[in-house]
Order: sequence, then structure tokens, then C-alpha cells
Amino acid sequence: MLTALTIARKEVAQRLRDKSFLIVGILSPLVLAFIFNLVLGDIVRPDPSLTFDFGVVDEDGAELGGAFGQMLAAAEADGLVTVTRYDTEAAATAAVDADEVAAAFILPDGLSAAVLVMNQDATIRVVGNVDSSIGRAVAEAMAGRFAEIVRTASLSVQAALAAGAITPDQIGAAVAAATAAEPVLAAATVEVRSRQLASATFFVAGLGIFFIFFIVGLSVTSLLEERTHGTLARLLAAPIRPASIVAGKTLASIGLGVLAMAILAIASTILMGAEWGNPAIAALVILAAVIAAAGIMIFVGGLARTAEQAQNLQTVVGLTLAMLGGTFVPITTSEGFLASVRYVTPNAWYMRGLGDASGGAYGGAFQAIGILLLFGIVFGGVGLLLVRRVVKP
Amino acid sequence: MASSIVLEATGLRKTFGQLQAVKDISIRIEQGETYGLLGPNGSGKTTTISMICGLLPADGGEVRIAGMPMTTTTLEPKKIVGLVPQDLAIYPDLTARENLTFFGRLYGIPSATLKSRVDEVLKVIGLLDRANDRSGTFSGGMKRRLNIGIGLIHGPSLLILDEPTVGVDPQSRNAILDSIERLAGAGIAVLYTTHYMEEAERLCDRVAIIDGGEIRAEGTQEELVRLVGENDRIRITGSGALATAAERLRTLPGIAGASAADDQLSVLTGDAGAVLSTVLQELTADGVAIASVSIEKPDLETVFLHVTGKALRD
Repeated sequence: MLTALTIARKEVAQRLRDKSFLIVGILSPLVLAFIFNLVLGDIVRPDPSLTFDFGVVDEDGAELGGAFGQMLAAAEADGLVTVTRYDTEAAATAAVDADEVAAAFILPDGLSAAVLVMNQDATIRVVGNVDSSIGRAVAEAMAGRFAEIVRTASLSVQAALAAGAITPDQIGAAVAAATAAEPVLAAATVEVRSRQLASATFFVAGLGIFFIFFIVGLSVTSLLEERTHGTLARLLAAPIRPASIVAGKTLASIGLGVLAMAILAIASTILMGAEWGNPAIAALVILAAVIAAAGIMIFVGGLARTAEQAQNLQTVVGLTLAMLGGTFVPITTSEGFLASVRYVTPNAWYMRGLGDASGGAYGGAFQAIGILLLFGIVFGGVGLLLVRRVVKP
Repeated sequence: MASSIVLEATGLRKTFGQLQAVKDISIRIEQGETYGLLGPNGSGKTTTISMICGLLPADGGEVRIAGMPMTTTTLEPKKIVGLVPQDLAIYPDLTARENLTFFGRLYGIPSATLKSRVDEVLKVIGLLDRANDRSGTFSGGMKRRLNIGIGLIHGPSLLILDEPTVGVDPQSRNAILDSIERLAGAGIAVLYTTHYMEEAERLCDRVAIIDGGEIRAEGTQEELVRLVGENDRIRITGSGALATAAERLRTLPGIAGASAADDQLSVLTGDAGAVLSTVLQELTADGVAIASVSIEKPDLETVFLHVTGKALRD
């Protein structure tokens, strides 16, 4: 262990001297985050109060229209949304186009009759504002959740009607009772609130982890460089275990990664007003992400035969993971290819973990930490087996 | 006395694919002795010392350092071996002091004595006044000296130097050779590989001539010179078809060997005075333009030529 620490200390001194840490770990992410925040900040910046302006058109005018209206009213009373009622779909659509509302719900004529009496499928349409991706996502989530509740309520009402427990004129009251306790808006909003970072924090976190991949990747590339430059032979001629060399370099890369992220977090808080939520939880998420990045980069570097090959592979992998994981721009869609693959990347879990830490959803943050550590252990474990051939005498 | 044997390598063999790089090499070095492995590039010197240092597993044979078996996994014998690789193995981003301190720690030198030991080595290699400068800013000779200093930091019983003066200016080379002489005088056993005959002659108590992965001759300089039968060497500098001329000269009576390299022709003979005029006539007939001629007494290069049939620089 002492040997590994000695090697780690030497490694840190070298990285600090050759400026790679300063340039790649600190300046690049900080400057780029500042620029990204200036240029793209509006795209990811949520309303600070996290309230959304929605419109609703109740063409149904019956039980389900009433129930949906009550739910919206409850959410409005909680300060989560503001609701504007429109008489026609055209008027609601115009309001969406004019940026007056983030999205509008259209409850079509005959919705209640189709669902509750005739047991047929029906649709609540959501007209979303293209410039308010988050608002649109919240509206879709709310409509989806309402549909689930109605499906359950519909079954209860159908059963009650069939059994003669209620008469058709009591359907409205039965539906209202079945849906009254469901926190449809709260569930969707809490999820969004907890996973959405403020724009400055988002860009610093995202670009930070992107560049951290290169900082931690140095553990393997420096090993390959030492082999090329002959210092590895000298290390192997010393009375130390080859594993100590790898351990020392891994320790150094993780330490530098954490140090870079800590400096980024503090600097961005002071200079850009970034908000990281609970510092302890955020620190754990960052530590876990650095370990995951180190594991993946050891694995990727372990596949290479030269330092140049390793750097090229690491660049491709780091860039791909960053894009898929939504660390450059947020992925707001819940469907499609990106939504399917984003959580295959540690980047997405890291951003989610930080979002949860920022929003107070600590359960989610700890889940992300666990998954990030798993990434680190699995990839790092296999990577270390691959790297063994580099330090084999 | 068995306890004074620092290195005993027996029957070392190593093959890379189809190439048999080292064939049954045995070396024995005693305390305070400087042993030279003299041979051209690719003769197996580096492969041999890699096995001796435990950097390369041997296909056959055994290495013992002060009686302890050395393999790629043993640590104890490595504590008393200092390696100075052929290529510069230093960290250019670190200062000379940091380089030495780092390796000193790896060899387990206690913190209490490490600083004084580092100063001591800096003094030996003549870098005390540049101790806190980054080694990347050093001249080639200074880097070479630091390279040697790292091999010395833990006070090894056996110092292995693999061509430590390659690419070094004459002044630095002299300083390096002086340092090695002092170390040998202090009782360290030295294994020195080189393809410079004059270095082997100056430093080594015993020399092994290695070529094609095997030791072709071994002994003190006097013993080796006796092998060639006290032949003189005629060294001719000139231009023209020297290789062809060397071939023709080998067929003449009284000529023990001839080789050409660059602009030089070496001729071995029992009596230089008796054959000189014949040699010059033959060269003139072959169209060789002669720039200078000198007659030298037998040395290690002569021995090399005698036992391998070619010059060291071939």
C-alpha cells in the first residue's frame, strides 16, 4: 500500500507539473460550461419556481372532464401549475403557439361515455409547446398518469354498474371518489423537480464528467507511456509488486478526478451560481462517478497496445458516453432510442444522481451512486485483468 | 570464497519466436569486480541482463544474486541490484532530487536517511548544483548521469549498466566512466555492457565477448589478447571498395584476418612490418585511396575480430 501511495504521489506531481490536470480537468470544463450556459442556458433552465402554465379544453363536459378539472384545480392550489380554460381546441393551440402556456390538454367530446359506459378506448391529447420541453414532458406524464387512474376507476364503475350497486346517474360521484385521492400532478412534478439541475450546474456537471474521463484515463495511458519510455522496466526491476504500480496509478487518477470535480463545483458555485444541493450527497455522487469513469477508462485503455491507441479509444468512448448520457444537452424525451440507451451510460446516472441530490430526492441519488459504483467495479475489474499484461515482466 | 560471489548466472537461454537470442550464457561476478559484456548491437547483451535483473523470464538456466535465486517474481534479490537501462529511464517532469527520492522510496530507504542518501548520490553523479531543476531541462550527459544515479540510490551490491554512454559527448562519457571506476573501487560488483572496446579495456577486470547470443571468449584483457596469438593490427583509413579488398587480403599468406567498416580497414597479422608493403600494394591495385595507415598492438577489438571474424562495428 505504501508503494502504491508513493507511485500515486509521483503521478500526481507529474500531472500537476505538465499542466494536463489544470487544462483538461479545470479550465476546459469551466470555460466551456460558462460559454454553454450563456448560449444554451435557456434550453435547460427550468422555471425557478417549477410551476407550469397549462391550458385545458373540456369538450367532454361529463364525469371524466370534471375529474380531470378537479385534479388540475388541486395542483393549482398547491402552486404546482396554473391552469387556463379554453372553449375550443383551436383557442388552446393558439395559446400554446403564442407561448402563453407550456401545453394544453384536450378532453374530447364523449370521452366519459366512451370509457365509462361503452368501455371503449379514448384519448386525452396533449398539445405541447416546442420551446418548453420540460413543460411538455410534465403534461404528458400527467395525462398518462390520469389515464392509468381512469382505467382503474373505470373497472370499478363498470363492476358497480353491473352489480347494480350504482345507477347511471351515480357514475359521476363514483368516478370522483375513485380519482379524488390520486396525486397525479405531484408525482410527475416531483420527478421532474428532482432530476432537473439548474443550467449552470448542469453544464459544469456535464462537461466536468466529460473531461474527468480523460483525467482518469491517464492511469492506463501513463502506464503505456512508461513502458515506451523505459521507466516501467526500471519500476519492475525494483523490489515492488507489479500490482502496486497499477494501484498507484489508479489511486492517483481517481484522486485527481475527485480533486478536479471538487474545484469545479466550488468555482462554479462562486462564479456561476451553480447549485449542487446537499454537499455530502453530491460529493458521493461525484466520487462514484469518478470511480465509474476510472473503471471504464482502465477497461478501454487495457484493450490498447500503445498510449496513442489508448488515448484514441478513450476519446471515442468518452465522447460517445457523454452524448448518449445527456451531459452536453439534456435528454428530455422519455421515448425513442436515446431514452432507451441513456441509462446504459454512467453519465446519465451521474447527472440523475446530482439532480436528485440537488432536488432532495436522496433515495434516487443513492440508487445512482450504487449503479455508478457497479460500473466502476465491473469495468475496472475486467480492465485491471487486461492491464496486467502491460506490467508483466 | 563463496560468499563473495554477487552474481552467478548459469546456462541462460532465451528464444523469441524463431530467434535464439541467448544461448547457454554463464556469468560469475565477485564483489568489487567489474565484468564487461562486449559485443555489437543485437548480440544478446540486453536480453541477458534483462534475465539477470528479473525483467524477463529465462527459458532455461538460473540466476542467483548473492546466493538468492532471481526470477521475475522474487523481490528480495532485487533489493541489492541496481539497474541502469540503456535508454534513459527518468521522469523529465520531476527534478533530479525528486527522481532519486522516488526510486529511493521504492527501494525502501527509510525517510530519515533518504535525503542524505540522495545528496550523496547527487554528489557522486555531479548534479548537486542542479538537484532542484527538472531533469527534462538537462543536457544529454546530465540525463545519463541521473540515469546512473537512480541505479545507485539504494546502494546496490551489484550495479548493472547497459551501454550507459551511448549517445553521450566525450566529456560526459569520461565523467561517467570516472564515476564507475570510483564505484568499483568502493567494492560494488559491476556488470557493464558495451560495444565500445576502449570502455571495456578501461573499466573491466574481466571481459566476455558476446556475439550471436553466446559468449565466444572470456577472461582478463591479457588472457584474451593471448588468444589471438599476439597479432598486430594494421588500421587503414581510405575510400573505395574496402569490403572487397578485405576479402582479398584474407587470402594472402601471413594475414590472420581482415575486415572493413565505414572508411576503415583492419588487418590482423603476426608481423605487421613483414606484410605492410604487400597489403598496401594490394589495396592500391584494388583502387583503394589510402588516407592513413597505423599499426597497433593487440587489443580487445583485435580479439573480437579474431574470435568472431568481424569487427565490433560490423
